[in-house]
Amino acid sequence: MLEIKNLHVSVGDKPILKGLTLSIQPGQVHAIMGPNGSGKSTLSYVLAGRAGYDITEGSITYNGEDLTALPPEERAAKGVFLAMQYPVEIPGVTTMTFLKTALNSQRRTRGESDLDAIGVLKLVRAKAKTLNVSEEMLKRALNVGFSGGEKKRLEILQMALFEPRLAILDETDSGLDIDALKLVAEGVNLLRSPERAMLVITHYQRLLDYIVPDRIHVLAKGRIVAEGGKELALELEAKGYEHILKDVA
Amino acid sequence: MTLAVARRAEATALFAAQGVPTRRVEDWKYSDLKSALGEAGIGAQVAQWHVTDLPAGVEQFDLSQANPPGWVIDNFARGTGNVMSAASLALSVGGVALRVPKGAAIADLLKLDFTGPGHVRALLVLEAGASLTLVEGVGLSEFRNVGFEIALGEGAALDHVRVSPADADAVLVEEAHVRLAAGAQYRAHFASFGSRLSRMELEIALEGAKAQAHLSGVSVLDGKRHSDVTTRMIHAVEDTLSTQLFKHVAGGNAKAVYQGKVTVAKGANGSDSNQSAKALLLGEAAEADLKPELEIFADDVKCAHGAAVGDLDADSLFYLRARGIPEAEARGLLLHAFLEDAVAQIANMDQRELVRTELLTALKVIA
Amino acid sequence: MSSVAQQETKKQVADIGEKYKYGFVTDIEMDMAPRGLSEDTVRFISAKKGEPEWMLEWRLGAFRRWLTMKEPKWARVHYPDIDYQNAYYYAAPKNTPLKQSLDEVDPKLLETYKKLGIPLHEQMALAGVAVDAVFDSVSVATTFKGKLNEAGVIFCPISEAIRDYPELVQKYLGSVVPVTDNFFATLNAAVFSDGTFVYVPKGVRCPMELSTYFRINASETGQFERTIIIADEGSYVSYLEGCTAPKRDENQLHAAVVELVALDNAEIKYSTVQNWYPGDENGLGGIFNFVTKRGDCRGVKSKISWTQVETGAALTWKYPSCILRGEGSVGEFYSIAIANNYQQADTGTKMIHLGANTKSRIISKGISAGKAQNTYRGLVSVYGKAKNARNYTQCDSLLIGGECGAHTVPYIESRNPTARIEHEATTSKIAEDQLFYCLARGIPQDEAVSLIVNGFCREVLQQLPMEFAVEAQKLVGISLEGSVG
Ligand SMILES: Nc1ncnc2c1ncn2[C@@H]1O[C@H](COP(=O)(O)OP(=O)(O)OP(=O)(O)O)[C@@H](O)[C@H]1O
Ligand SMILES: [Mg+2]
Repeated sequence: MLEIKNLHVSVGDKPILKGLTLSIQPGQVHAIMGPNGSGKSTLSYVLAGRAGYDITEGSITYNGEDLTALPPEERAAKGVFLAMQYPVEIPGVTTMTFLKTALNSQRRTRGESDLDAIGVLKLVRAKAKTLNVSEEMLKRALNVGFSGGEKKRLEILQMALFEPRLAILDETDSGLDIDALKLVAEGVNLLRSPERAMLVITHYQRLLDYIVPDRIHVLAKGRIVAEGGKELALELEAKGYEHILKDVA
Repeated sequence: MTLAVARRAEATALFAAQGVPTRRVEDWKYSDLKSALGEAGIGAQVAQWHVTDLPAGVEQFDLSQANPPGWVIDNFARGTGNVMSAASLALSVGGVALRVPKGAAIADLLKLDFTGPGHVRALLVLEAGASLTLVEGVGLSEFRNVGFEIALGEGAALDHVRVSPADADAVLVEEAHVRLAAGAQYRAHFASFGSRLSRMELEIALEGAKAQAHLSGVSVLDGKRHSDVTTRMIHAVEDTLSTQLFKHVAGGNAKAVYQGKVTVAKGANGSDSNQSAKALLLGEAAEADLKPELEIFADDVKCAHGAAVGDLDADSLFYLRARGIPEAEARGLLLHAFLEDAVAQIANMDQRELVRTELLTALKVIA
Repeated sequence: MSSVAQQETKKQVADIGEKYKYGFVTDIEMDMAPRGLSEDTVRFISAKKGEPEWMLEWRLGAFRRWLTMKEPKWARVHYPDIDYQNAYYYAAPKNTPLKQSLDEVDPKLLETYKKLGIPLHEQMALAGVAVDAVFDSVSVATTFKGKLNEAGVIFCPISEAIRDYPELVQKYLGSVVPVTDNFFATLNAAVFSDGTFVYVPKGVRCPMELSTYFRINASETGQFERTIIIADEGSYVSYLEGCTAPKRDENQLHAAVVELVALDNAEIKYSTVQNWYPGDENGLGGIFNFVTKRGDCRGVKSKISWTQVETGAALTWKYPSCILRGEGSVGEFYSIAIANNYQQADTGTKMIHLGANTKSRIISKGISAGKAQNTYRGLVSVYGKAKNARNYTQCDSLLIGGECGAHTVPYIESRNPTARIEHEATTSKIAEDQLFYCLARGIPQDEAVSLIVNGFCREVLQQLPMEFAVEAQKLVGISLEGSVG
C-alpha cells in the first residue's frame, strides 16, 4: 500500500531524512519510534504533503501511485490521513464547519455527492460521543483553547469520520490521560481492517499495548536503524535508544 | 438659520486656513484627498439624508428648518479642530438631528442614509439611559463629506453599524465625533468595500467614568480601491475602556489604511485600551498602511496595541488541505476566519448576517 | 533576571554615589573657532584640519544648502529656539591633535578619560578594546592602532582618514546619509570636526571591539562628529560608542552623523551608551542630541545591528535606521530609552525593506519617570520588490509616576503580499507587587527600581558587548534614582 524507498528529505539546506525505506501492506499496523529530532514528524509531513520539505532523493508510492506528485487535499481524498503531533489552531473557523467542509471536500474530490448538514451533524455527533468530544467543543473555533488532550481527541474524531485508508498518527498518545488513551486506541482498533493500514509514531510502549503493531521501526538520524516485532518496544523501554544506536554503529 | 452661527464662522475660518488636506498633512499621509478630488474640489453642495421608518420614540429635526429645539442647540456643532468636519459645518446648511429621550430603549433599528454629492451634518443624541441601534447607509456619489456628531448621555448605549459599498469612483469621507458621558457605551462596526477614496474618521471622547467604546471594522478591497479608517480615542477620565479591532483584506492595487491614536489624559488612571489592526495583502500591488499610536500621560493604565500585515498562515492552510479541503476553498475559509472576529463584534444578529453576506460576495471577487 | 545578575546589579548600583558622575569639567587650554556660524567658520574648521580642497567644497555646499532648510518640528520634543549664531563650532585642546604616541598626549586628558572610566594607556586598556577618544571637536587618542593595522583594519580619526585615505572617504562620505538628508545632518556636513573612520577589509573579522568615547568639555560648544564604518565583503566589526558631558546650566548642541555600509555577507554591530548630561532635576541645562544614524545593508546577506542605551541628554532626536537593500540582508534595532525629570526623548528606527528575503527586528524599551516625555517613533516599510520580507517589532513602555508620558508612534507600510510584519506594543506602570516584593526582602527603593527596570530591559541589555553591559546596567539604575517615592 505504501512504499517508501531511499527517501532523502531536506528542510532548507538541512538534510533530515537520509535514506529511509519502509513498506506497509494493507491491513498492517506499523509503529515508528525514535529519539527526539530523529525525523519522525518530518516523515509524517512529507507523507501528507506539507510545503517546505524537499525530497532530494527516493520515492513514495501509495497504491502504486506517486504520492509526492499530489497536493495535500488530493492525498486526503485518496485516504491519507495525518493526525498531527501539534494540531493547528484556526481562530474564526468553528470545528463543526471545518468538519463538514473537509468531509464534503473529500467526497467531492472522489466524485461522491455532498452530505447535507443534518447528515454530517448526525455522523459527527455519533463519533463525538464515543470519543467523549463535547457538543460545546464542536461549536468552538478549531482547536483554539483546546487542551492538549482535547486536540488529540479531535484528531481521532476526524480519523473516525473520514475513514482513511492510510492513517498516520504522530504522537497522538502524548498528552492523553489513561482513559483518553484507551478511547483513542479503541478508535484506532475499530478502524483496523484488511484494507486499511496505519503508521503509529510514538515514544511509549504503553500505546502499543493497546494498538498491537505488526512491525516496529526505530528511526534515528534520519534512517531506520532497527526493526522488529512487538518485543522491540519492550526492549527499547528497558534499555533506551543509546543501546540500540550503539549496536548499529 | 441662526443655529450655531459662531461655531459655523469658526469652522469656516478653520477650513479657509487649512484647505483640503494634502498628503503633506500628517493625518492624511496615506489618503490623498486633494488629488482624488481633482479639479472639482470639495464644492459647496448640500448632500441628502434620509430616515426610513423613524422608530417610535425617536425625535427628528431637519437642520435646515428654523427654530431648532433646545437639545439641538445644546449639542450641535460642538465640533473639534478636524478640518473636514469643519468643512461640512461651514458648507452645509442641511442635515438631520435625532434624539432618543431619557431612558427610552428603542428596539427598532434607526436607518439613516446619506446620499448625493456635497456636505451634510448629522446629530444624534441619546439621553441618559437611552439605547438604540443605528444602521447607517452610504449612498454612492462622486463626493460626499458627512460631519456626524453623537452625544451619549449617562448610561446610554448606542450600536452603530455602517456599511460603505464598493465603488471605483466615489470619494466618501465622514467624520464622526462621539462624546460619552459616564457609563455610556458606544459599539460601532465599519464595513468598507472601498472606493476611489474612502475615509471614516472617528474621534471618540470618553468623558465620564466607566464609559466604553468598542470599535471594529472590516474592509475587503479589490481593484484600485482605497479604504481608510482613522480613529482617535481619548480617555479623558479615569476608568474608561476602549477596544478596537480592524481587519483588512486588499487585493489588486487596493490600499487599506488604519490609523488609530489612543490618548490617555493625565490623571485618567485605570484606563484600559486595546487596539488591533491586521491586514492581509492578496494582490501583487496591494498596499496596507497601519499606524496604531499610543499617547499616554497617566501611569496606572493598561494599554496595548498590535498590528500585523501578511499573508494567510501557511500552517493553517496546510492543516485544512491535509484534511481534504482544496486550496482555493481553504483560502476562502481562512479569509473568512480572519474577518470573522471583527464581524462577530456586531451585536445585532441581522446586521451581522448582512455584513457576512456582503463579505462573502466581495471575497469571491478577490480570492 | 538570574540571581547572579541581580547581585551584580545591586552591587553596581550600590557602588555609585553621585547622580551624574561625569559632570566635572577639565580645565585645559582650548583652541576655539570664533563664535557663530558662517562660511568663514566652515573654512576655519577645514583649515584647522588641513583638509584638501574637495572636502572644503563639500562642506561649503552643505552649508549653503543648510541655510535654505528648516529645523524639523514633527518630533515630540519642545525646546527654546536654538540660536545657531551663539555657539562655538570648534574647540580643541591646544597642541593635542594627532599624537604619535600616548606618551605625548596631555596628561590632563589622560586623567579625564581615566575619570570617565576609559583607560587610554594600552597597558591599562581593557583586553581587546581599541579606543578612539574624541574630546570636543577632535580625536585625542586612538589606541591599538598597530594591532589593527596588522589585520588591515583602518581605525582612525576621520580627519586623518580624509588625509590618508581620500579615495575611501570620498567613496563613502555622504553615501548613506546624503548631505541634504535633514537639517541637522546637513549642519553636521558643514561643520563636523572629527569622528571615527573604520574600514574592515574583505574577509576580516576585526580582532577586537572598536570604540569611541565622545566627550563634550568646553562650554557653549556644539559637538558635531561624523563616523563612517565600512565593512567590506565577508567582514565583521563590533563598534561601541560612549558619550558624556559636564554639568552646565546651558543647553549644548550635539548633532552627529553616523554612516554604516555593509557589503556582501558583512556584519556591523553598533552599540551606543549615550549618557550626555541630561540637565538637572528642574530641567536646566543638558545636551540637545540630534543625531542621524543610518546603516546601508548594501550587500547580499549583510547585517547591521544597532543597540542603544539612551539615558542622557535633555533632548534626544535619534532614529538609527537600516536600509535593507541587499538580498537576504538583516537589520536589527535594540533600544533602551530612559527619560527622567524633564528629559525628552523621541527615538526609534526605520527599517526600509528594499530587497527580497530581508529581515528586521525591533525591540524597544522605553522608561519614563519624573516629568519626562518618551516617544518611540518607528517606520517599517516594505517595498514592492521585497519578497518574503519579515519584520518583528516589540515596543514596551514603562511609566514611573503619573506626571510623565510614554508614546508610541509606529508606521507600518507594506506593498508586498508575501511580506510579514508583526508589531506589538504595551504600556504599563512599574508593577507595585514587584516593587513591594523587593522592598519586603530588604532591597532599598532605588535599587529595587533599578532591578525591576533592568529586568524589563533585559532583552536589549543582552545585546551589548560585555564591557558595555555592565556600564549600561549601572546607568539604568542611576538615571532613575529618586523616581519612585
Ligand atoms: N522547518 C524546519 N526548519 C529547520 N529544522 C527543522 C524543521 N523542521 C524540522 N526540523 C529539524 O529536523 C529534525 C527532525 O525533526 P522532527 O520534528 O521530524 O523530529 P521528531 O522525530 O518528530 O522529534 P520529536 O520526537 O521531538 O517529535 C529536528 O532536528 C528538527 O529541529
Ligand atoms: Mg515529532
